[in-house]
Amino acid sequence: MKTQTLPRFLAISSLLFALSAQAHDPKEHMQNAEQADCTAMNDMDQSKMEMNDPVTQAMMEKCKKGMSGMEGMSGMKGMSDGEEKAQDTTHEDGDSEGHAHDDDGSTDTHH
Amino acid sequence: MERKSLSCGKCLLTAAGIVIFGGVALLYSGLYPMGADVPHNSLTYWVLETLRERSIAQAAGDIEVPGDMDSPDRLLKGGADYNDMCAGCHLKPGKAQSDFTLGLYPAPPNLSLDEDKQNQGSHDEGLDTLRQQFWTIKHGIKASGMPAWGPGHDDERIWNMVAFIKRLPDLSPDQYQIITARGDVSKGNGH
Repeated sequence: MKTQTLPRFLAISSLLFALSAQAHDPKEHMQNAEQADCTAMNDMDQSKMEMNDPVTQAMMEKCKKGMSGMEGMSGMKGMSDGEEKAQDTTHEDGDSEGHAHDDDGSTDTHH
Repeated sequence: MERKSLSCGKCLLTAAGIVIFGGVALLYSGLYPMGADVPHNSLTYWVLETLRERSIAQAAGDIEVPGDMDSPDRLLKGGADYNDMCAGCHLKPGKAQSDFTLGLYPAPPNLSLDEDKQNQGSHDEGLDTLRQQFWTIKHGIKASGMPAWGPGHDDERIWNMVAFIKRLPDLSPDQYQIITARGDVSKGNGH
């Protein structure tokens, strides 16, 4: 009886281990991870950027670490110091949650 | 009268038998072209497309859409996964085709274009699109090349991809690169 239990236990353990390894971990991609080219933000028309737009906020979040050493980003520094400050200065319709464009998704972020 | 209805019934049975026999004969003849480089005829295409669209709409109807779909954090997380898992087939800003888009049939939709968004007339239709995208990513589509990502990815991670796909048509190639890069900031002289 015991000789039958051991192989079953090993088989189930192996199966569980194999299934857990199949889960797709983001860390698998980190070995060849591409770096964010935040210098490209210098060429973007900053006057057309809406600080309350989630796309702009995502880019600012991504580039926050390298912003201190970049030129031409002074107009965006408010985001690295605190997103609310920048939102208050640029937002016109009073929506502080940045959902003003939820329904149609339209923004002025095209270049 | 009774005789007339009987003969009519016989006619219908005969017609049904011919259709079934013809279908089975076509099935076993091997004459239907299965190569991905030969498009379906319009009837087959319509049947399969209608089957797919109705099935997904029905299955996705009750899915609850999270309230924070416009969160920058979702864009960053979903963008990185989209770039690694989806961009090869569904493309990205500045790229019009790939080997997959040329070779797969039906061709995967180019999600970096605004075509679908133009069809979202109302807020509810927009939510339906999000539900259907979530369901499609999670469960995949049979015999289309679209895999089910659900087994290896939790719902939250799939919603992140849906959130990113929602904004993808708005992105320039530079914005796409920054948002989808998994690594940290590069200070190289890119320009």
